[in-house]
Amino acid sequence: MAGVKIKYTKTERARQKKILKVSERMLPLFEAMEKSLMATINTIAERIEQLRETIEENRKKAEPWVAVMSDSTVDINEFISVNQIITKSIDVAGVRVKQYESVDFNVMPIGEDTPLWVDDALELMQEQLQLLAEITCLEEQIELLEEELLDVRARVKLFEKRRIPNAKMAIRKIGQKLQDDERLTIATAKVVKQTQKEARV
Amino acid sequence: MCSLPSLTFDKVPPISLDEFNSDAKSQLSSRHFRLLELVELGKINSEKKAGLKSIAEMLADVQQDISEIRSAKAQNRQPQMAKLPKSLSALNPLEREKLILQWQWEELDSIESGKTFTLTEVMVYKLKLQILNRLHSFDEKKGAQILASVVNPSKKEKDDGRSEN
Repeated sequence: MAGVKIKYTKTERARQKKILKVSERMLPLFEAMEKSLMATINTIAERIEQLRETIEENRKKAEPWVAVMSDSTVDINEFISVNQIITKSIDVAGVRVKQYESVDFNVMPIGEDTPLWVDDALELMQEQLQLLAEITCLEEQIELLEEELLDVRARVKLFEKRRIPNAKMAIRKIGQKLQDDERLTIATAKVVKQTQKEARV
Repeated sequence: MCSLPSLTFDKVPPISLDEFNSDAKSQLSSRHFRLLELVELGKINSEKKAGLKSIAEMLADVQQDISEIRSAKAQNRQPQMAKLPKSLSALNPLEREKLILQWQWEELDSIESGKTFTLTEVMVYKLKLQILNRLHSFDEKKGAQILASVVNPSKKEKDDGRSEN
């Protein structure tokens, strides 16, 4: 409010009252939005944690046989690659984000002379790659939601620290000034009346 | 054959395949060497030449059973193996591969028995050497690196490959 010149008029007081009314109605909405965004971010973070745990569990399960992947007769890299990660756009807590759907793999057909372990390795790799793709999508969702959260927090702060207190102060100051003016007008009128009365006498 | 070091299953190969091939080339006739070149572990050759036939049959047996394991898995049923040990399906992929190689080794022992100083013995030697090379290529650290290289492609690659429905 410092530096802002208030117009001490009834119109301005009405305008400030309107600002206060709107701000007091908007603040709880933004606060609810902030809570919702925070809860959503936490839920997504928990999901990421679960996915990471699954990746680690899968890796540990494969530890006893991972040595076979260095088989000199097979280059497993040639068997599998990610073609594309398929996503769809959805609204999460009012924010447009990409949701993980699936991974489209390029998988080389397994020939009759392909060692049996390749089947298991491809199964494991597909699962790990799908989990990693989902994590990437969720991390991007968190990024977008955090941007929105910062924006909402700035709005909450604006209403809490500036708009509402400023409007309240402006209404109070205008009220006082208008009251003072009214008293001054009455007093002046009384003086004028008294002076006119004395002049007539 | 006398000049070649003896091979033991699950022991480090005492000679490399290149050394063996170079030795074989210098000591075998070109016709025999060509036949030897046809012998590859995991590759069935249809030639009905002596030695090659029994080896091809053994390799075909393995492939048939592997196909049965694959079909059984796809159909969610117990595999009915004709030649390979029944315990195979309960093992992890590494143990399974080792058991298949061991079974092949033992079959090769049967194929070469009584065929001392023949081309069959040289072919069996080559296949056994290939078995040992495969066995000794199984390395936990390298395997883990290969797995990581496939499942942790760079973020850029992932970003490039993303599309929206």
